[in-house]
Amino acid sequence: MRTFRGILRLASNRYTPTRMRQDLAELWRYRELLITLVERELRIRYKNSVLGFLWSLLNPLLTVSVMWFVFKFYMSNETPNFSAYILAAYLPYMFFQQSVLDSSQSVLQSLPIVKKVYFPREILPLAAVCSSFIHFLLALGVFFVFLIVIYLLDPRISPFSINMLLLPIPLVLSFMLAAGMGLFISALNTYFEDVKYIVQVVMQLLLFICPVMYFSEQVLNASSKHGSWMYFAYHANPLAMLCTAFRKILVAPQDPVVGGVRLPWIPLDWGLLGLCAVICFLVFIGGYRFFNRVKWGFVERP
Amino acid sequence: MSDPAIQLTDVRKEFRLSHSGSLKTALLWWRKKRIERFEVLKGLTLEIPKGQCVALVGRNGAGKSTLLSLLSKIYRPTGGTIQIQGKIAPLLELGAGFHPDLSGLENILFNGVILGLTREQVKARMDSIVEFSELKHHIDAPVRTYSSGMLARLGFAIAVHVDAEILIVDEVLAVGDFAFEEKCYRRIEEFKQHGGTILFVSHQTESIMRVADRCVWLKNGQVELDGDPAVVIRQYQQDAEANDTL
Repeated sequence: MRTFRGILRLASNRYTPTRMRQDLAELWRYRELLITLVERELRIRYKNSVLGFLWSLLNPLLTVSVMWFVFKFYMSNETPNFSAYILAAYLPYMFFQQSVLDSSQSVLQSLPIVKKVYFPREILPLAAVCSSFIHFLLALGVFFVFLIVIYLLDPRISPFSINMLLLPIPLVLSFMLAAGMGLFISALNTYFEDVKYIVQVVMQLLLFICPVMYFSEQVLNASSKHGSWMYFAYHANPLAMLCTAFRKILVAPQDPVVGGVRLPWIPLDWGLLGLCAVICFLVFIGGYRFFNRVKWGFVERP
Repeated sequence: MSDPAIQLTDVRKEFRLSHSGSLKTALLWWRKKRIERFEVLKGLTLEIPKGQCVALVGRNGAGKSTLLSLLSKIYRPTGGTIQIQGKIAPLLELGAGFHPDLSGLENILFNGVILGLTREQVKARMDSIVEFSELKHHIDAPVRTYSSGMLARLGFAIAVHVDAEILIVDEVLAVGDFAFEEKCYRRIEEFKQHGGTILFVSHQTESIMRVADRCVWLKNGQVELDGDPAVVIRQYQQDAEANDTL
């Protein structure tokens, strides 16, 4: 903790912190730059238009098929439309991972420019998050195509549900979470270049403590044996709650069947989602303020 | 008289040295305070009225570049206040602000937007910028393949096309060839006639004598002498020679 305060002192105390309203106004003045940067990043990512976009979908589709295969056949998960459930949670996880990893490097990569021209520095991580978000939205479009395909392959169980109309809620929350973390990590990584290695490890671990390869119903089932706090603690992790929420919203309810045991479906818990919303909002505000407090020290970094 | 374009009051800038960029060393050494301070600007007061062309001279390490960076809002001062009236276009160092892997055209867009134009405005001025830079045949090539003269031309071409009211130039004009230099000076004259303010660093006596209305000599982070270019430069050169003979 003292080290942490040390970082703050080193970076910022010599300057009176700017007000958040001023920072936001300045960001708004430079919106054209943000758009230009997002455009540039998307252009690099989708170099050859359609093919480039499909290429970038190869990672999630391949990962999900392997997970689906392993968990369906080796761990005997017989839930109908299991692959759709995995994908519905893996896409938001991937968005978060990509945003944080990309933005962690964003300031360092642009340091030569940052040292020579003024613009609000928070634009760099925000551009990384925004382009990942657009990519996420496009991937969600493909997800609906995927739903139609699995419906046509097996029309007995419809994967569609009216809950899909709630999609904007977890979308906004996941954007705030990713932007807040992105700002925080990128500021930290600019001072301490080894932060990104820690982040990479944490990102891998996050995949296991989020309901991607399994169901939150299984977590509740385990919790009933070990105490109900476990289910709550599990969903206090905002990313885990968001993965659950995306699942409940994007795919029609099905009772998960694992190892021949049918677990009752749990509807979306609005209390937990509310807690998640508060956490996401705090992360966003905190990350933004932290970044703005330390950003003037970036150019003086040794 | 109206407000000055640039008003510096008792500006101080201090840098901290010796702090490594990794978490490991920070954790290992957090008990030990090993911060060394290094003051570059020591209470600088300077006022530049609108429409004036000011040359900055001084030896290496006198604080010229730090001053220009402060005016470009890259650093914040440790003490004192900086007031600026009008839009600034900084031209610090060659090719700075360019992304090496992007083409010249993309960099024009990128830089124009950084300097406060909208994308439409940049696109509207694209032809004019390319023509001024005389880089028509290389404009689609990545900027990393450019020579230093080409970088200077591109940078200058963008800076004079963004409707800035204050131009800040850090020794970049020295690399262009004679014809381009002439073109730049004509443009600077034009800029002055339209009421623009210029602050530039140069080590070339002729160029200072040619365009500057006023010359400021910085020594050890403070203004040593300020006034007519001919007088200041003579003093500055005498000082430099005196130091050399020591």
